Amino acid sequence: MKSMAELTLALKKILAGLLNPRFAKGTSLAVAACVLAIAQSAPQIELPPVHLDAAGLTPRPIEGLTGTTIARHYALAWHDLEVASESGRAEGLGEEFVGFAKDRLVKRIAEQNQTGVHVHIVDHGHHLKATFYSTDGTAMQLLDQVQLEIQTFDGNKLLDTRNAPHEYIVLMTPGADRWYIRDLEEVSARR
Amino acid sequence: MKRAFSSDLALCRRLAGLALLCFLPGWARAAELQVPALVEAGQAFSIPLGGSGQATFYLLGPDHVVKRTVNLGSDLEIVSSDVRSAGRYQVILCDTSCTSATFEVRAAQPAHLSFFLHPSRVPVSTPDSIDASAFVFDQYFNLVLTPAAVDFRVTPASGAGFSQRASTRQGVTWMRMNSTPHEGPVRVTAVLGNVDEARVVQQVAGEACRLSMKAVVSGNRVTLETDPVRDCSGNALPDGTVVSFTKLDNAGKSTVDTPIKKGIARMDFSLHGRAQISVACGVVLGNEVALNGKL
Repeated sequence: MKSMAELTLALKKILAGLLNPRFAKGTSLAVAACVLAIAQSAPQIELPPVHLDAAGLTPRPIEGLTGTTIARHYALAWHDLEVASESGRAEGLGEEFVGFAKDRLVKRIAEQNQTGVHVHIVDHGHHLKATFYSTDGTAMQLLDQVQLEIQTFDGNKLLDTRNAPHEYIVLMTPGADRWYIRDLEEVSARR
Repeated sequence: MKRAFSSDLALCRRLAGLALLCFLPGWARAAELQVPALVEAGQAFSIPLGGSGQATFYLLGPDHVVKRTVNLGSDLEIVSSDVRSAGRYQVILCDTSCTSATFEVRAAQPAHLSFFLHPSRVPVSTPDSIDASAFVFDQYFNLVLTPAAVDFRVTPASGAGFSQRASTRQGVTWMRMNSTPHEGPVRVTAVLGNVDEARVVQQVAGEACRLSMKAVVSGNRVTLETDPVRDCSGNALPDGTVVSFTKLDNAGKSTVDTPIKKGIARMDFSLHGRAQISVACGVVLGNEVALNGKL
């Protein structure tokens, strides 16, 4: 996300320069090369695979683009969550989480840091099933089934390793340019 | 024979020593953690800790991490504030080695309703035009997944109210209803036990119905005036609603949009020979007048 912001800023500066006719001709090729180089140098984020099933969704069906956006931002959210759990840095959580979900995660990361605990998560992919989409399009509830390998450390000491299926109830709401996770609660897989 | 016996005895002693060596750390170790499988949010409970000596206890929940030194051989108290968020909790107890267990915290009793009513304005007598969604949360804002019946009580500004009941599924329920025939505010209240949350939808008049105008000619000018503009349920269309008058005469075609003021729309036209004038409001066409000396 930070690299995207830097890229956007760079593009704005470049466009401002391009508007100056004296430099337009001479710099256009160099700019194109520069943009290409920036784009190529931006680190590729490896996102966990997310499969979204929205068949039979009520009371409103999902639009194709909405489904794609939700899957992408859900994957980004889990990437951010996993990074924050391991690094103890909660700054990135605001990109994809809001409300209760964000508050809880930020508190958890802060307390992890206080206690010296950190968690490494190996994410084997998410199967999202959309279960509710409000008519006005302001809320979507999903059920996520995921296989996670979770290693808990205190400092460098490995405390526990678990590789088990997990199930989450997720509430997502749309923002200006993305879908945010507003609530993320783990539930028993055998409810 | 005696040598063989003493050799067996020595072997036994060695094995017993090994067993003791294996056993002693186990004795010092924390016993198997016995945690409840399911806990209600905010409910304190205790975990019996076997063994003796001290160990480090960890509790990792959705929004909470605890690390503290505990005395084995006593009960470990998990206080209410440790388990307020619903989700999976991990308990780890470490001395020379670590043992772990998990338990689930589920939402407490419903305490909050998050209620959405859509849209905020709706035309009267429109089928399936009002949607209500309610999310049920406990006092700690955990989604209550246990099915619960939510009553949607509808109170129109005029006419009889009614109620519709819907059961939650995974903490959410919704209903859809028709708008009622009369304009004005309609209050919809979601009720679950002693928790309620109200929202208001403003019902407005629908499309114009039986739109008609009359014309008064004065010299080469005509004054056009509609009857009070109402929808098919008799609700007056709000002031500001645009009415279009279209005149076709020797000067060509001319259309003028004018807003309804005090329930009616009025317009003056100059005439150039014989004229035909029509009126419309939205998609509704009204009557036509032909001005050739005969209305």
